[in-house]
Amino acid sequence: MPLRIAIVEDEPAIRANYTDAFRAQGYEVAAFAGRAEALAAFRVRLPDLAVLDIGLGDEPDGGFALCRELRASSQSLPIIFLTARDSDFDTVAGLRMGADDYVTKNVSLPHLLARVSALFRRAEVARVPPQSEDVLVRENLSIDLKRFTVAWRSRPVELTLTEFWMVHALAKFPGHVKNREQLMGEAHVVVDDSTITSHIKRIRRKFAAVDPGFDRIDTVYGMGYRWKADG
Amino acid sequence: MRAALPALGLRSKLVLIALVLLVMPWAGYAYVRAMEQLLRENQEQQLAATARTVAVALQDRPRLLTPPAGTATEGEPTAATVHDEAKTLLAGLARPGLRIWVIDSKLKLVAAAGSLDAPAPPGAPPVFGPIERAVHFALRPLFERMFRTPAAPGEELIPDDVIFGGRELERALDGAPTTRRRPAPGGRGTILSASHPVWSGESVIGAVVLEEDTDAIVSLRNRAFEQLVAVTLVAFSAAALVLLAFASRLSWRLRRLRDEAENAIDSRGHVRALLAGEHARDEIGDLSRSFSTVLARLADHNAYLEALAARLAHELRTPIAVVRSSLDNLRLQGGTPGGATYLGRADDGLQRLEKILTRMSEASRLEQLVREGEREPFDARAVIESCAAGYSSAYAPRRFKLTLPDAAVPLNGSADLFAQMLDKLIANAVDFATGDDPVELTLEREPGAAVLRMSNHGPLLPAGMKERLFDSLVSVRRHAPGDEPHLGLGLYVVRLIAEFHGGRTNAMDRADGSGVEFEVRLPLV
Repeated sequence: MPLRIAIVEDEPAIRANYTDAFRAQGYEVAAFAGRAEALAAFRVRLPDLAVLDIGLGDEPDGGFALCRELRASSQSLPIIFLTARDSDFDTVAGLRMGADDYVTKNVSLPHLLARVSALFRRAEVARVPPQSEDVLVRENLSIDLKRFTVAWRSRPVELTLTEFWMVHALAKFPGHVKNREQLMGEAHVVVDDSTITSHIKRIRRKFAAVDPGFDRIDTVYGMGYRWKADG
Repeated sequence: MRAALPALGLRSKLVLIALVLLVMPWAGYAYVRAMEQLLRENQEQQLAATARTVAVALQDRPRLLTPPAGTATEGEPTAATVHDEAKTLLAGLARPGLRIWVIDSKLKLVAAAGSLDAPAPPGAPPVFGPIERAVHFALRPLFERMFRTPAAPGEELIPDDVIFGGRELERALDGAPTTRRRPAPGGRGTILSASHPVWSGESVIGAVVLEEDTDAIVSLRNRAFEQLVAVTLVAFSAAALVLLAFASRLSWRLRRLRDEAENAIDSRGHVRALLAGEHARDEIGDLSRSFSTVLARLADHNAYLEALAARLAHELRTPIAVVRSSLDNLRLQGGTPGGATYLGRADDGLQRLEKILTRMSEASRLEQLVREGEREPFDARAVIESCAAGYSSAYAPRRFKLTLPDAAVPLNGSADLFAQMLDKLIANAVDFATGDDPVELTLEREPGAAVLRMSNHGPLLPAGMKERLFDSLVSVRRHAPGDEPHLGLGLYVVRLIAEFHGGRTNAMDRADGSGVEFEVRLPLV
């Protein structure tokens, strides 16, 4: 049975384009223009993944409300916010609602598709434990590339997909400096420099929540960031 | 940019207007002259009347004019020869300052009495107020030069030329009463004389001459003048002082209003309300209130503009998403042969559009960050050192000359933002640099401040733009086709970040005119 994606987006052209793109990839797509319409459909059947716009018609925060309700119905349902809003405030608010990722609308379709398939894989792995493990270990850090999860000193660190890709890009080659463009490429996003800075800050904070002494992500001013090797 | 004080301020103007008061002494002068004239005429009439009285008294006593025969010496009339009775008569009428003499028809002096000695000088000057007295005292030398006080000792003897050459005597002996003024000897004042014939029946047997000096009137006039000048000066000074105080207060209020209006918009475009004259019920209050209204509108407009970039970026993102997703779909479907070229071009255009959007939202995101961002201490020297290493490779073959202090330069703020500011400054310097000279990056420690200087060889700053270079959406670049979009946000970001660190920015030409220099001054921890 094909995986079912729900798109809630009030702009018809974008909705149609995304629908076509997802269908071309073999997904089943249900597209909605508003919150009420989407909610009614979700009550009948939950999708396997939801792509939500935040501003929906007359409701500037309709997407947030929808996300809350979806999360209430399912803890594991992958949710992506896809929005024109790119302020840190909205990003943080969106992620706090329990979304798995937050991307701005200028994301390219291939990037979006990469994200969607990654989230599906993560959900899949959560349901059916994989036969083979694919874990990258850097001393205290372990990155599960199948489950898209990260653990620091054996304690899980909750990361969004974007953040996961960034940590992976940094930790793959400890000591090597990754500049912002490289990080964007690895994380399948096109954003401005200060958004990268915000992402890094959030990642550091999440690690620090697990281990207050965490200081592995180094800023190399003028160049980028690197994962500091132990010692 | 505070305008210099106006060439002719309110105060000077009002003081000039006060000069109109100086018409007062002129009017007073005319008045005093008229009074003097009146007094003179009065004196003349009195003198003439007295002369007539004396003449009438002598009229029927011709023997008084005929001295006893044999005692007279021809041509040498002396008081001794004059009849005692006449003398007594005249002495009764004479008073200090008034001289009376009588001659007979042969111009022989019969009797004389009184002298022209000025009467005792008038008592102390009229009582003025203390200010007037002070002015009077201060101006005394001036008064003495202007109005010579006629304190001349009168002539003791009647000069011969008066007796023998006086035409009024001839006329009096011809039967006509006459008055005449003649200068006092030594040119001091004027002597007024009135002569009247003494009739005896049908013939004139002599003449009475009364002489009085005009000192009294002159000194009266002079005193009036002095008083006038003193009063005028005092009034003028008082009026000028009051006007000056009024004008000072007025211009102080206006200046306060001006200063407040000038500073009502701070460098970030935030508008403060005006306080000066807010509650005043006069025109300045009106002005202040209408300024406030205008400023409030400006504030609204500024807020609208500030939000514009962010809103525009937001609004544009949706149509761009439509275009981007359509293009992506086209590409995913394989597209038509040859279509790749057009897809590529469309992508290029889209990328430029997105870059613009990114810059716009970057600036507005920074504005937000600067308002709310948290600060922590960091070492600016280390950040620059680290950044410079990256720049050398990123901007090769452009060379950099780095000058750093020996010790750490502790700042309070955000190292990330500081690095972002460096990025913008470097990008700007590299874009404008010409020739092979390296871009110079200098960090200096001054007392209490860290000074960052970025200097490059190249074109000078356009005149009149120095102040605005750091404003949002101000760019002085000439745009080349296919060039990266320049929104004039780079230096604005520099300013935002500098202000976040409590510092300020400055752009200037190099002293030798070979290029430009950008300076960021930040307070040390």
